[in-house]
Amino acid sequence: MHIDIRQAVSRDPWFVVGFSLGLIFSIMTLLGPPLAPFDPWDISFTPLSPPSARHFLGINDGGQDIFSELLFAVRNTLTFGLISGLVALALGVLIGLAAGWFRGFVDMILMRIADVLLAIPAIMILILTAALFRPSPWVLALILSGMMWPTISKAIRAQTLSLRESLHVRAAAQIGGGNWYIIRRHLMPEMFPLYLIGFAAKARIAMFMEAALAFLGLFDPSRKSLGMMIGYALKYYYMDIWWNWLLPPIACLSLLIMTVTFLAISLEKVLDPRLKEALG
Amino acid sequence: MSLDINQLSVIYQDGTHRIQALEDVSLTLAPGRCLALVGESGSGKTTLAKACMGLLPSNAVRQGQIKLNGQRIDHLEESFLNKIRWERIGMVFQHGAANLNPVHRIINQVAEPLIQHRSLSRAEAHALAGEALAQMGLKGEHHWRYPHQLSGGEAQRALLAMAMIMDPEVIILDEPTSALDALSKSFVTDCINQAKEKGKAILLITHDLELVVHLAETVAFLYLGEVMETMPARDIFSQPLHPYTLALGRSYPAMNTTRDLGGMRGDAFYRFVHQHGHDDEAGYRHTHIQVPLSSHKDGHAPPSGCLFQSRCTQAIERCRTEKVDLEAIGDHTVRCLRHGIANLLELKGVSKKYGNAVAINPMDLTIKCGEVFCLVGETGSGKTTLAMIAAGVLTPESGGRVFDGRDMDEWMHKDYRSLASQIGVIYQNPAESVSHRFSVLDTVAEPLKIHGLSQSKEEMHARVTSVLADVHLSTDPAFLSRYPHELNMGAIQRVCLARALVLGPSLLVADEPTSSLDPSVQAKVLKLLLDLQIEMGLTMLFVTHDIGLARKIGDRIGVMLSGRLVEVGPAHLILSTPYHPYAQLLIDSVSGIGHGSFQPASDPVEPDGCPFVTRCPQAKDLCRRVNPQLLERDHRQVACHFPLTIGHPG
Repeated sequence: MHIDIRQAVSRDPWFVVGFSLGLIFSIMTLLGPPLAPFDPWDISFTPLSPPSARHFLGINDGGQDIFSELLFAVRNTLTFGLISGLVALALGVLIGLAAGWFRGFVDMILMRIADVLLAIPAIMILILTAALFRPSPWVLALILSGMMWPTISKAIRAQTLSLRESLHVRAAAQIGGGNWYIIRRHLMPEMFPLYLIGFAAKARIAMFMEAALAFLGLFDPSRKSLGMMIGYALKYYYMDIWWNWLLPPIACLSLLIMTVTFLAISLEKVLDPRLKEALG
Repeated sequence: MSLDINQLSVIYQDGTHRIQALEDVSLTLAPGRCLALVGESGSGKTTLAKACMGLLPSNAVRQGQIKLNGQRIDHLEESFLNKIRWERIGMVFQHGAANLNPVHRIINQVAEPLIQHRSLSRAEAHALAGEALAQMGLKGEHHWRYPHQLSGGEAQRALLAMAMIMDPEVIILDEPTSALDALSKSFVTDCINQAKEKGKAILLITHDLELVVHLAETVAFLYLGEVMETMPARDIFSQPLHPYTLALGRSYPAMNTTRDLGGMRGDAFYRFVHQHGHDDEAGYRHTHIQVPLSSHKDGHAPPSGCLFQSRCTQAIERCRTEKVDLEAIGDHTVRCLRHGIANLLELKGVSKKYGNAVAINPMDLTIKCGEVFCLVGETGSGKTTLAMIAAGVLTPESGGRVFDGRDMDEWMHKDYRSLASQIGVIYQNPAESVSHRFSVLDTVAEPLKIHGLSQSKEEMHARVTSVLADVHLSTDPAFLSRYPHELNMGAIQRVCLARALVLGPSLLVADEPTSSLDPSVQAKVLKLLLDLQIEMGLTMLFVTHDIGLARKIGDRIGVMLSGRLVEVGPAHLILSTPYHPYAQLLIDSVSGIGHGSFQPASDPVEPDGCPFVTRCPQAKDLCRRVNPQLLERDHRQVACHFPLTIGHPG
């Protein structure tokens, strides 16, 4: 790349905020278990105790340490979001490139599938699947990815259709570059901003979706999740627990989504200089 | 009286070197005719003249026969030769005044042969000599001057007078006009023409192709001692059949050609003859060609192949090993394995539609090896489509394509890459034709990577830097790692050129390569392009809307109108006397004549009519009904019912 990324991003407030938050969440995710002061499944504490020196955020109704629970919940939600986002991006890019580059029959089939998927609400499929089959969260993440790729692939396909007419792609084809060579060297690098947008949008949706499913109680109740924490905390909202039990998972969920968004915006700005003026 | 030269070979023995100056040259000089001998310096022209006069130096070894009027003169003793010289064969040596004795007056020198051979008295001889000098346009007072008191042209005319004073049957003129200005030249030309009319047989040795056209009936082209082509002199510029002849014609600053001087690929060299050991039977006939380091990339030319192959624009593998004999083609004789200048690309009846819009109507186009073919025409006339069909980027709807003698579509199908390596393409917009994510190195190395041609990084780097040097770009690492947005347009276009050339193509298709450049950069890029075209022996298809540009770079021009070729022929012919009114319109609008009378292209009244009918000043009823075919007329093809010709009222 001909842009000094490190220098460019370090001056960008979007990136600095996003990166700092991302760092905190990464530490929470990667080092969650050793950091947690207690076993989040241990129910030996006094239920509904307010925060104390031993328990930063107090104890929940089941007698579990809320802080330890939060660490494990962030880990689960973030991983679910990242995996869904990445798989959806990979599917979307592959399918979009294939449709846009090969056109014709391949394009027709892939885009009709995309249209069908766009018409079906993902949350409905997820709720039904989760309720009927009780699959593991990973299977749900994959199903969600399978529902989310069409918007990414539509964007990638449109960009591919425009890029394939550009002179440098035609020049590479004239020289004798094969399909895979042109896709790898000329098309894929050109669409970097699209990957970031696509990934950020899908990871956001996936994290939100995970929280929602957990909130509805569709996951294994023993699996820690931000949505599940919010759900239990809400049952006791008449007690004075909102700031130590309800607020932390809500704040974490919002910040997680913001982190992904901020990072995507800043990188996109850096990689596509034309956006710099628009976004400041 | 005629002079016959039969299989003459001359070798100069120079110390341990033996240089082949002439090999198997057979020529005939007939009375009243002029035979011109043309060739680069060192091609053996003067050696041939000296051999005819029996004036070869003592280190020359000669084979073959020279007959004057059926009588062999090549083995005569010096005393007999002396009789023949001046009496029967007169000669004007090259370098003009240097051949005159500086301590004798001109008239004495001209009179000398008369006194020597005819035993005339001094006074009679002077009278005759004075007459001869006066005939050559030298006034009385000049006759008594010393050579250094004469101008170059006057000395040259004195030499001519000297050669003709004995009224010989054969006159050999070695560069008779090289030191003359245009006016003296035309005077001398007249004098020589008069001598020819008197029945003299004239051997004219010259570099001056215009002079050849004016004086000679036949011309022989000599290269490194071999005759490459003989042809009627009038065909020199219009119908060369040997790449050497084409290149010589292109190198000559003729008044009627328009293209910038082209020159010839590579350098001439000496032919050293190596004598192998006595036990080597075939040995002593072996000819090695010593190639100076500066001249060729492919190094030592093989002993057996065509002498010209390393400088040829259409050499094939067989040319390196096979010896070729002269072969008659029409009224030419040509020494070429490929039977004259070959066609690199032939399009036969190709057509192309975009949806309902017809871009190209079925048409034929032939591009010859080593030429620059310019496609000109207004926007939307189908130039780019045709060029891209030629480059193999677009597939025509109908018709066939033959590239280098092979069916192009079949070739593409079987092995696209080997075809692609033969065709380089430069696009109109340089900035868009390279990826902005590729550095200069990446861009130029891309074809090498695609074709898997470089084993190692170092090798690839070396190839990239060598081609960058060819296009006059920097080769330092800092430049190689630059990105397109850091370069100016001219540099990017040269990077594109380097990318097109790195595989060593034989055809370069350039689609308006300079239209996005400013004139000074355009001039630089074009000069570079033409130099490379010559040095690499490229054939070029050049698309431009600028007929002024086509005039400067094209050997041949094709004028396009509404997806048709309406006039095809040598650039200088079309530009000086266009036959198609549309070509005339294009030329007029460039020269500013037709301004204010612009009419956009529109559909013809009848679908079958001539597409130019609505704008044509001389359209007739026939033009509205019938679209004219492309027909052969005077060395060109025109599609017009009523072509413009001189004196044609229109």
